[in-house]
Amino acid sequence: MSLRHLYDKFNGQVQFLVIYIREAHPTDGWNMGSEFKISDPKTFQERRKVAGMCEAGLQYGIRTYVDEMDDAVMSAYAAWPERLYLVDQNGRIAYAGGIGPFGFAPMELNQAINIQLKGEPIGT
Amino acid sequence: TQTIQNYKEANSWHQRHDPLAPKRGAVAPDFELRDVNGENPVRLSSFNDKKPVALIFGSVT
Repeated sequence: MSLRHLYDKFNGQVQFLVIYIREAHPTDGWNMGSEFKISDPKTFQERRKVAGMCEAGLQYGIRTYVDEMDDAVMSAYAAWPERLYLVDQNGRIAYAGGIGPFGFAPMELNQAINIQLKGEPIGT
Repeated sequence: TQTIQNYKEANSWHQRHDPLAPKRGAVAPDFELRDVNGENPVRLSSFNDKKPVALIFGSVT
């Protein structure tokens, strides 16, 4: 199951947001030969430019926001290199995904969304 | 050698940050973020008033 599938399935019932964070495998960092040759942005302007390419490339129509250069959001959510979360309408975490790439599981997010939309409480 | 060093640094980063990451049931950390145009700053909490919010963290590479 892809994120695109999830978006198509739940768009309208769930607000999807992409948060662009520090590059995982930039050419000037932990380079693993990604098909995308991108150096790690050094300024917010560079970062938002790459994030814009990301937003356009995905073609989901999902709104993309950009972490500031202090990586505050990425750090608070321990989200590097990629991670999924679901936040309920009370502002609580309904699903905290594993660390990518191995813990990145759209199928788990799918299950969490289904549970959430049925209105089951998540507890505290 | 560089690959091993990269793994060590990544593991170290996660060992520092994972214990503090929000778990199920915790209040979601709230931040103000700007869009790809560097404009329209919004707080994450402003999105979940009407429906759940799926947060997708990632980069291009």
